[in-house]
Amino acid sequence: MKTILVVEDDKNQLLLYEQELSIEGYNVIMAKDGQEAVRKVKEQMPDLIVMDINMPKMNGIESINSILSDHRKIPIIINTAYSSYKDNFMSWSANAYIIKSSDLRELKSKIKELIG
Amino acid sequence: MLSSILKDKSYNILNNIVDAFDAGLSILDKDLNIIWSNKILSGILNLEYDLTGKTCCEVYKCECQDTKNCSVLKALSGGKKQFTETRLIIDRGERKYIRHISAPVRDEKGNITQLLKLSLDITEREEKVRQLSLLGKLAELMQGTLQIDHLLHLILTCVTAGTGLGFNRARLFLVDRERNIIYGKMAVGPSSTEEAHKIWDEIVNKYEKLEDLIKAAEDNYREDTPLHMITRLMAYSLRDENEVVVSCVKNKKIIWERNAFHNPNIDKKFIDMIGANEFVCIPLIAKDETIGVICMDNLYSKKPITEERIQSLTIFASRAALAIENAAAYKKLEEKIQQLKETQERLIRSERLSVIGNMATYVAHEIRNPLATVGGFARAILRVPNIDKQTRQNAEIIVEEVSRLERILANIMDFSKPVEPVKMASQINEILENTCSLMDPYFRNSRIRLNKKLDTSLPKIVVDPTQIKQVCLNLIKNAVESMPDGGTLTIETMMENGHIKINIADTGEGMTTEIMQNIFVPFFTTKVDGTGVGLAVSHKIVEDHQGYIKVRSLLQEGTTFSIFLPI
Repeated sequence: MKTILVVEDDKNQLLLYEQELSIEGYNVIMAKDGQEAVRKVKEQMPDLIVMDINMPKMNGIESINSILSDHRKIPIIINTAYSSYKDNFMSWSANAYIIKSSDLRELKSKIKELIG
Repeated sequence: MLSSILKDKSYNILNNIVDAFDAGLSILDKDLNIIWSNKILSGILNLEYDLTGKTCCEVYKCECQDTKNCSVLKALSGGKKQFTETRLIIDRGERKYIRHISAPVRDEKGNITQLLKLSLDITEREEKVRQLSLLGKLAELMQGTLQIDHLLHLILTCVTAGTGLGFNRARLFLVDRERNIIYGKMAVGPSSTEEAHKIWDEIVNKYEKLEDLIKAAEDNYREDTPLHMITRLMAYSLRDENEVVVSCVKNKKIIWERNAFHNPNIDKKFIDMIGANEFVCIPLIAKDETIGVICMDNLYSKKPITEERIQSLTIFASRAALAIENAAAYKKLEEKIQQLKETQERLIRSERLSVIGNMATYVAHEIRNPLATVGGFARAILRVPNIDKQTRQNAEIIVEEVSRLERILANIMDFSKPVEPVKMASQINEILENTCSLMDPYFRNSRIRLNKKLDTSLPKIVVDPTQIKQVCLNLIKNAVESMPDGGTLTIETMMENGHIKINIADTGEGMTTEIMQNIFVPFFTTKVDGTGVGLAVSHKIVEDHQGYIKVRSLLQEGTTFSIFLPI
C-alpha cells in the first residue's frame, strides 16, 4: 500500500483528505505544518506528499526545499487556495500544482498518475 | 440776398473760395427745394445729376421723416445754425460720413428767406476714429478669448468686417516650428463677386455693432467654402525663403504687393492661390517670434489698399498676435491639466485595483479552504451507498452551491493575479474568428444572428493573443447575455486613427447612463450571478496594451463596445 503524506494546517480539511484518499486505497499520514512534515518524511518515507503552501511555523516552500535536499525522489503535489503561484511551481521542483477545490477528482487523478 | 450775390460777378470768386475748402454747398428755399448747388456737393453725395430743383430730402437722404429733428427745419424756424452728421451708404457697402452745417439766410429786414447748407466729407477722419475705438474693443474681446479657433476666427472677421478693417478677404497662416512649416489655417471672405455683394449688403443692413457682426460671422462660419478649403491646402517649408509668407515670417515685416501679377519674384503658384494683384501680408509677432501671417486683399471691391489701412492693421496685428499667444499658452495649460487628470485617474484606478486585488486574494484564500472542506464532505456523503433520498438531495444542493461559490472565487482570483502580457505579432481578425467559432454553439442556443464585418486589410499588431481573446470573449458573452430573446451580434474590425478598432455591438437591452459610468469598476455587476470582474479585467488588459475601450449604449436599442488597439 502506497503511503501519502498530507501536509495541511486546516484540521477539517486534513480529515477530508484522510477519508477520501483512504477510500482510494492509500495509507494516509498527516502533518499540521512544515516542521512536522519534515520529521514525518524522515520517519515514515511516504511515496508522495500533498502539500499546502500557506502554513504556520514552516511554510510549504521551505518544507519542500528541506525535504528535497534529503529525499530528492519523493513526488510532491502542491495543493493550495492560491492560484497566483501556479507559474512558479516548477521552479520549486514540485511535480504538480492543484488549486484547492471541493471536487477532489483532479487531485486523485494526479496522485494516480504519479504513484499509481 | 446770397442768391443775388451768387448771380453777380463775384460769383466766380466766391465759388473758387468754396471749392478751395472742398465743401459742398447748396441753397434751399423755404419749401426745402434746392435752388442752387455747387459741383462738389454732387461729388460728396455721389449724385451724378443736376441737383437744382430737387427737394432737400431727395438729395441729402437724411432722416427727414423725423420732422422734429430735421436740422434744416430747425434752422429755418429757430434762426440758428445747425450741425449734423449723416452716413451715406454707397455702392458695395462703402460708407461715407458727411458733416452738414445748415445756416439761415436773412433778407435786409432780417427775415429768414433761404437756407445755406454746407457739407463736408469727413469719412477719413470718422473712419480713423471708428477704427481706433474698434481696435480698442477688439483688443478687449481678443484678450478675453482663450479658445484658439474661436479667437482666430474673431481676428479674421475683424480684418474683413466692413465696420472693421474692411478687407474683402483674409487668410490666416500659422507657423508650426516642430514641422518647420507655415500652413493655411483658415480664411474668411466671399468666393465670388456676387457673394461679396450679397454679404456686404447683408452686413450693412443687419449689423450696426461690431459685436453683433462677430457673433453673426461666427454662427455663419463655414469650413466648406472654396476660399477656406484652398487656404487649408497651402503649406510652405520655412526653409523656402522665396515664398511670400515665409519671407514675411523670417523678415518680420509687412509685405505690401501692389502688382503681384507682374512681379517675377513672386512664385506663380502662390499668386494663383491668392488670385489678387494687390495684397498685404502682415506678420503676427509675439515675444519677438513670428507665430503666423495674415494675408489680405480687396479682390472684389478693387479698392486700393491705403497707407492708413496698413497702419491700423499693424496695431491690430500686434494685439492679435498677443492674443493668439495667450490662447495657445492657455491651450497648452489645458492639455497639461487634462493629462494630469488622466494620470491621476489612472493612478487612483490602479491603486484601487491593487488594493482590491490584495484584499480579493486574501478573502478568496480564506474562503476557499473551508469551502473546499464543506463541498468535499458533501461529495463524500453522496458516495455513501443507500443514503435516503432527502439526504442525497440536500447534499447535492450543498455541492452545487459550493461549486458556484468556487467559480466566483476563481474569477476573482484571476482578476487579482498579476499577469504580464506575452505579446507577439498577431492578426486580430484571426483572434476574433477563433473566439466566434468557440462560441458558435452558444450563439445557436441563444438564437443570436452573427454579423461579421472584418476588414481583411488589417495589419498584424503586437498583442497578447490569449488576453485579447479573453477580452473579446468577455464582451461577446455580455453582448449575448443582453439579448435574452435573441438578436443580432455585429462584430466589426477596421482601422481608425492609427488604431485597430474592434466593434462588438448587440441589439439588446442597452444600459442607463448610471450603469455605463460603472461598468469598468471592479465587482460592479448587474447580473444575478455576475462577479463584476469581466469588464474590469478587459479594461485592464486593453490598457496594458496601451489601448482603450469606448462604449455607446441606448436603452432598448443596444450597446456597442469599441476596443482600440494601437498599430
